[in-house]
Amino acid sequence: MTRRRRLLVTALGLALTLGCAVRGPGGALRTSPLRISEMADEGDVTRRASTRLVLSGLVSDAQGSSSLALSQYERAIQIDPPNAFAYLALARHYADRSDPERTLEYLAQAELLLESQGVSFPRVEPHLSGLRGSALHTAGRPDEAELLLDHARALAPSVWGDGRLSPEELR
Amino acid sequence: MVVVAAFAGGFAVGGWVIGLDRIVTARFEGPRFRVPSRVFSAPAILYPGLDWRLVGLRGTLKRLGYREAKGSRELPPGQYVWGAGRVRVHLRAFEHPSRPEPARDVVLRVRGDLIEEIRALPSGRELGAVLLEPEQLGAYYGVDHEQRELVTLEDVPRHLVDAVLAVEDQRFESHSGIDFKRIGGAALANLRAGSIRQGGSTLTQQLVKNFFLTPERTLWRKSQEAVMALIVELRYAKPAILQAYFNEIYLGQRGAAAVHGVGEAARLYFGKGVHDLSVAESALIAAIIQSPNGISPYRDPERALARRNLVIDLMRAQRRIGDAAHARAQAEPLRVAPVTPDPGNARYFLDLVRRRLPEVYDQELLSSEGLHIYSTLDRRLQRLAAASLREGLAGLEERFPQLRTDDPARSLQGCLIAMRPQTGELLAMVGGRDYGVSQFDRCTQARRQVGSVFKPFVYIAALEPAGDAPTITLADFLDDSPLEVDTPSGPWRPQNYDGEFHGSVPVREALERSLNVATARLAQEVGVARVAGVARRLGVESYLPLVPSLALGSADVSPLEIARAYATLASGGIRPETQVIEDLVDVDGQTLERRRLRFERVLDPATSFLATSLLAGVADHGTAARVRSTGLRGPIAAKTGTTDEERDLWFVGFTPELVAVVWIGFDDPRSMGIPSSVGALPIWRRFVEQVTGGDVRGQFLTPPGVERVEIDPATGALALDGCPERRVEYFLAGTLPSAVCPSERVADEGEGRSRATRRDFFDWLRKRL
Repeated sequence: MTRRRRLLVTALGLALTLGCAVRGPGGALRTSPLRISEMADEGDVTRRASTRLVLSGLVSDAQGSSSLALSQYERAIQIDPPNAFAYLALARHYADRSDPERTLEYLAQAELLLESQGVSFPRVEPHLSGLRGSALHTAGRPDEAELLLDHARALAPSVWGDGRLSPEELR
Repeated sequence: MVVVAAFAGGFAVGGWVIGLDRIVTARFEGPRFRVPSRVFSAPAILYPGLDWRLVGLRGTLKRLGYREAKGSRELPPGQYVWGAGRVRVHLRAFEHPSRPEPARDVVLRVRGDLIEEIRALPSGRELGAVLLEPEQLGAYYGVDHEQRELVTLEDVPRHLVDAVLAVEDQRFESHSGIDFKRIGGAALANLRAGSIRQGGSTLTQQLVKNFFLTPERTLWRKSQEAVMALIVELRYAKPAILQAYFNEIYLGQRGAAAVHGVGEAARLYFGKGVHDLSVAESALIAAIIQSPNGISPYRDPERALARRNLVIDLMRAQRRIGDAAHARAQAEPLRVAPVTPDPGNARYFLDLVRRRLPEVYDQELLSSEGLHIYSTLDRRLQRLAAASLREGLAGLEERFPQLRTDDPARSLQGCLIAMRPQTGELLAMVGGRDYGVSQFDRCTQARRQVGSVFKPFVYIAALEPAGDAPTITLADFLDDSPLEVDTPSGPWRPQNYDGEFHGSVPVREALERSLNVATARLAQEVGVARVAGVARRLGVESYLPLVPSLALGSADVSPLEIARAYATLASGGIRPETQVIEDLVDVDGQTLERRRLRFERVLDPATSFLATSLLAGVADHGTAARVRSTGLRGPIAAKTGTTDEERDLWFVGFTPELVAVVWIGFDDPRSMGIPSSVGALPIWRRFVEQVTGGDVRGQFLTPPGVERVEIDPATGALALDGCPERRVEYFLAGTLPSAVCPSERVADEGEGRSRATRRDFFDWLRKRL
């Protein structure tokens, strides 16, 4: 890569980061939190099909069809096991159902996959932090939970202001 | 006297009738049918971009009982049209309490081997993915080996009722259990023939005979049958009798299982639910009631067709169908679903499913309650696994005479497991060569010496930071010189497979060549207990003796445990719990059990990646390099394992999406005289090649906390400009080598890192960034 091209890429990266992130009142970097629909066209055909299933699952979850949503997330994993968004959607699903153990298990899997796939971390961080906080709150660990939820609120107040991630907000 | 005798006789007859009445009511009002529980595969998913040839779409449709139609505008559920660049399938509905799939007419546009898009008809709406219904893998039978799918009368189409009544009991709706007119006709026919050729039994009598009596043709049995038929008719309404009949009637064989009832018969002969039967199909079912095996459309299609047409004629003659329906039905060719081979290759898996169910689901319950168990098994992978193992073992016997035996019970055995690493779902499992010969499951019940597939646990223990630093990095060298360790049973002196010692060898090379001595020394350095601890964390549950030879795999472990441990590596250090069941539904459609995916982080992702990178080297350049010899491309990490005297041959390999373990050996362990790379590896390779089509998807992604740098392979030092040889190596953050290459710069400026070296280092770092 030539020096000029490298500079260009760096400048573009900076612009994108600045476009998506501003500093909040608490000093935390506010981000435009990631929506899975943004990733619908990412990856190979299998990943795209899998992500579409995740998106369908989120629609089902929003419509209250919990079993169908679960099935769609699981089918997304069936065709593309390393699709981090399927695990993230499952973590959200179980956080909504006050099942902290499953929420944390799916979060760990999602986090690992997101990290290794290099998904822009600041944009997923509010979700990871908020969902973990939500799970810990249900698990009876309010102090840790509040710290994490506060962090999520500071990063993405429009989404985490109410302490919950709805299917539409993740979609 | 006569009065007393009559009274006594009447009393006896009355008692007999009351006794029969009790039998009838007990059976009708208690649980009437034993319905074996069935196990289903995971559903196949079709989506744009999928290689339809690779996944065997046509074969799957056929196995599911879909019928190929010729360019029909109206395509009923269960049929498909295969055209140029276009496949139209009317998918059947999939009944499931929590995740039903509607029947839908879809068109798949295909280009070459790929599905380009899927659209719903007639709306034309684009669909992201569609599911095919799960395939039945098998069922848990009772001692009677009866297979049946219960139906209610509402499920049964009117034309099936008509077909059965037309040929078996045309006055069913009017008689009271016995049809004297029919008996008279049958008696006359038999008299003319001089033997019993025709029966006069009504449906009610047939039901009574099947429910309560033996098939013998004696006067006593016939009188019992007649009285019981009358009792049934007195006590129960016609629809209830008809429904019982439709569920009880024997209609053929599926392998060793007896097919009872029209629901099961519709599945057997047409691969569909009873409600989807056409008039001609209903007529065929009615036709074979008389002699299900003699008139079987598989065994004697001409006879079956002739009798089916007779039934269709009777239906018209009795005005049960009109002329148009008669003509259509007569014109319909005799078409039956292909005989799917007995799913013997999934029987080990079925046994595992049963063992994994909570204890309350015992054999009795499973063979009678008609549960539907939806499993994780991938039918395509299972078929490929069974074929790879079967053909692989046969090929080995052909090449190596020492592996042949005349006794099938003592023949060379094997096991193949495939698991999805991120979820722990078992996708395929073949626990032996032939379930009919041996039901012992070598994947989950056998504990065999594990050999070198255990070695990666030693390297993980050494790569994992203990305290402030790991014992080794991937740039280090190990000592492969003679070793003697004192043990309670005397000195232990490990040897390499080639009988030689190799001096100082790079860590990678030690594992790639599976060097015993270097690995044993490393285990001594990190401690055997730590090595065992790593194996346990990753998923090995068998007893691990804390002896020096543990490092070389002296413990006895099951292939399933090894699959799980390697799955943990493949999923970046998150250990999945083994899953075989998705959910379990009772006969009323209530979900009784639902799987719970469970994961636990047991290894740092960075360490896990280093181990994966080592194993990828084994597949690329080491003892597992033959895995690439037929052109298999993409990320593969693998390890061979050959135990003492070649008694057990193991091969474990994983891709980012699949872990597969192959073990082969004799149940009564003896030497095979070949290494794993010759015995087990080709079976693994054949399986994975067929699963992936030769191109493994994805990549082993580098997690944060891993640094990728170039080193000098000769010394393990960081390679700077001017270093004559270099290769990429991975390190945990903060563990980069302190030495640099070219080393003369260090030598020029004394011990430690000189100012010049530091400058070089930062130059190098800037370039890397």
